[in-house]
Order: sequence, then C-alpha cells, then structure tokens
Amino acid sequence: MSAEAPVCADDALLAPPGGHQMIAYLQKQAYTNMVPLNVSLELTLRCNIRCLHCYNFDRDTRGPACGDGHEAPELSLDEIHRVLGELREAGTLFLSLTGGEALSSPHLFPVMDRARDLGFAVQLLSNGTLLRPGVAARLASYRNLTGVSVSLYGATPEVHDSITQVRGSWRRTMDGVDRLRAQNIAVRLKAIVMRTNAHQVAAMRALADGRGLTTLIDVSITARHDGTDGSLAMRVTEEQVAELYRGPLADLAPKKDRVVSEAAFPCNCARGNCAISARGDVQPCISVPWVAGNVRQQPFAEIWRSSPVFQQIRGLKMADYPKCAPCPDKAFCSRDRSAAYNASGSYTGNDPFVCSVAGIARKVAEERTAAAAVSSAACGG
Amino acid sequence: MMTYTRDPGVPHQKLDEETIVVDPRTREVHLFNETAARIWELLASPATVDDLTAALADEYDAPAAELRASVEETLGQLRDKGLLASQGGA
Repeated sequence: MSAEAPVCADDALLAPPGGHQMIAYLQKQAYTNMVPLNVSLELTLRCNIRCLHCYNFDRDTRGPACGDGHEAPELSLDEIHRVLGELREAGTLFLSLTGGEALSSPHLFPVMDRARDLGFAVQLLSNGTLLRPGVAARLASYRNLTGVSVSLYGATPEVHDSITQVRGSWRRTMDGVDRLRAQNIAVRLKAIVMRTNAHQVAAMRALADGRGLTTLIDVSITARHDGTDGSLAMRVTEEQVAELYRGPLADLAPKKDRVVSEAAFPCNCARGNCAISARGDVQPCISVPWVAGNVRQQPFAEIWRSSPVFQQIRGLKMADYPKCAPCPDKAFCSRDRSAAYNASGSYTGNDPFVCSVAGIARKVAEERTAAAAVSSAACGG
Repeated sequence: MMTYTRDPGVPHQKLDEETIVVDPRTREVHLFNETAARIWELLASPATVDDLTAALADEYDAPAAELRASVEETLGQLRDKGLLASQGGA
C-alpha cells in the first residue's frame, strides 16, 4: 500500500531499524501541518567527476567550476549560516547536504559544525571519491550525522568509470565506502541504473549486501537543468526495464495492491520537503528546478509560507494532472515529478518514458499473477 | 551535586506541539511527552535535579515531590538512552 505522505528517498533518514513507523508519523505530521521537516541543501555545483547522466548540466561542455560568469555566485558561507538559522526556525530537522559533490565544497565542514550546533540531523550525499581517511574520521566525529548516501554506477571499475569519465573513480568510491564503514558511519549505496550498467544491477546489489549496506535503486535519469538532454541517452531502454522487473528488480517492481487515492497522489514536496540550490533558489525538490523564491531576496519562511509556486503545488488535486488522473497504470507508476517536470516543463506534466515504465510494470505484475494462478491450480490439481 | 546537560550534538526539533529527538548512533527516533520536552529544553544549559524541579514548580501545579520524581525518572531515561553529555559533581 502506498503511504499517505510519500517521502522523497533522498530526504529520508537512512533506514532506521524499527524507526520507520515513527518516521512515517513525523512525515505525516509535517505534511499535514506544512512544516519543512526535510530540506536538501545543495552546497555547490562543483564536482570532481563528469557523469554522463548528470542532471545539473552537461559537464563535458562547461567547466568544473560550473560558473560561466553570467550566473549568480553560489551561496557564501555567511549566507548558508543565515539560511540554516532560518530553516531551524521554520521547523527543519532532517538536512541533506548535496551537490555537485558536497565534499568538494570548502563550506562543508563549517556547515556541518553549524548544523550540529543548531540541532539538525544531517545526511550527506556524495560520490564517495573524496572520502579520504582523514575525511571519514572527521565525519565520524559528528554526532548528528545520520549517514552518507554514496552513488554507485557499476559493479566493476570499467562500467562505473565509463559513466563518471574518471579512471579510478570506482576504486576511490569503494575505498571511501569502506572507510565510512570502518568509522561505523551508516552508508547507503544509491545505485543509479542506466543503459550501460543495467546488466550489473544484481552485482551492484550483491556488492552492497556483501558489505552489509542498504541500497537504493534508482532508474530515474532526466533531462538536465541547463536545457540539454544528452543525459537521456543513458536511460535504460524499455526492454531493459522489462528484463529488470522480471529478474534482478522483481522484488522492487510495483505491485498491484498499491492504492492511489486522492490523498496519496501528491508527494511531500512543498509540504514537508523542499530544496535550496547552490545559488539560493528554493525549489520543491532538488531535481525539480521550479523556483519558488531565492533566499538572497526573501527570508526562507516567507518563501515557504507564501510563494505562489508552493501554494500552487499545495493546492493540486489528482485531476490537475491531465495525463495521470485517468491513467489505468498509475498504481504501477513512480510518478517521478523530476522526470515529468524536466521533460514537459510542467509540474503536472508527464514524461512518456515514465508512462511506458508504468505500463511495463503492470504487464509484468499481470504475468506474475497469471503464473501464480497456474502454479496454484497445478498444486491443487 | 550532579549537573546534567543534554548532548549538544543530538539532533532535535519541535514539530507542532511535540519534541522529536533523533539518535543517529542507535537509529532511534524519540517523541517526548510534555514534561520530558520541557526538561530537554532546560538541559540546554547545565542543571541539577534541584534546578530542574524548581523550574517545573514555577510552571506546573503539582507537589514538589512528584515533580522531583518526574525529573529523576526523565533524567534516568535520557541517561540510559545516551542523550546526556558527561556529568560532573558541582
């Protein structure tokens, strides 16, 4: 069954054993009372690897510093400190620090210090390559660090490094993961499934299992925020999705018993979640660049409370999603807002690829049901 | 006399009328009742059992002995959960 107030995977506290019910209760409270309990803060757009699927911008055509001289600078440390205070006042507890590569930001540790002093529970999202021994040990000193989510793009160096376009990155990522574990820091491997690594999904899961790590599988690849769509070439094909749902991702394929009620349809964005970009834009989600305001121009609380963008999102009903509302496959759909927004330019739009994936999920679920019926009849007969 | 203070690194927040305290080490999420929430708030600064009991006496219409027992019970639970910083004699 679907939860009443879905939580974006990147914003969730890392798998607290036994704590899921409590987390679900808190998220529902935040959703109902519209408290920004979960905030993603993009520390920088800089990154030390050049992933082909990156949603920020095309890292092959623009410099690693990501600025071309025509855009606003990234938030300064003083600005981030001020924003953290505003988030605290607004009710935020769970803070996700992301990038670009968060560890490439000179502000990371001063921000971690301030976040600890203010009482935030912090999750770090990273590609893992900069987790040198001293860095992992330093992270372990933060009592408020709930864990690190590390992105993985393959089970072998050849596949992973072909996506990051940096030789040796897989080795450095896995070394970083092992250093975190050695420091008893919770690690979640976020396996991004793409056209060139789909054949390694089972191996990636085994890699995580072998280290006792939780895994998040993500097949969502979207167009980029700079308007380019070269990233889409990395998307899994429909044939690959079908193979994955019949095979290594069978346990994660949407099941038929999922109920999509009016209450369950909206996600937690703009109600219990939001994101702040490296340049201070406040968005419903870090991967949905629909700008509700900018913390350089307005206090966060004012944007959260009264921005027309957030008010519009909060007022949306299922019927406002013209393609989704009548869709017979919505029980099997991830309803990926990021893909929908980046494909259609509209928060209530759709991404035909996501629609196709939902159709495939339905077909696979029906096959499974039919097979179970045959098996049951054979046993009974 | 022992003084107590909350571990300054433990994440916490108020949500509506409730106080949430998260312990990343144990992966536990605690929801405090009103008294525990008030004591947690007071423990932002070092305090003795007497200090805490006196502060609650100003706010609650209850016998001092009852308040003291409540303070001691709450401190015991917070200590058992590892949510208090090091304590020392004063």
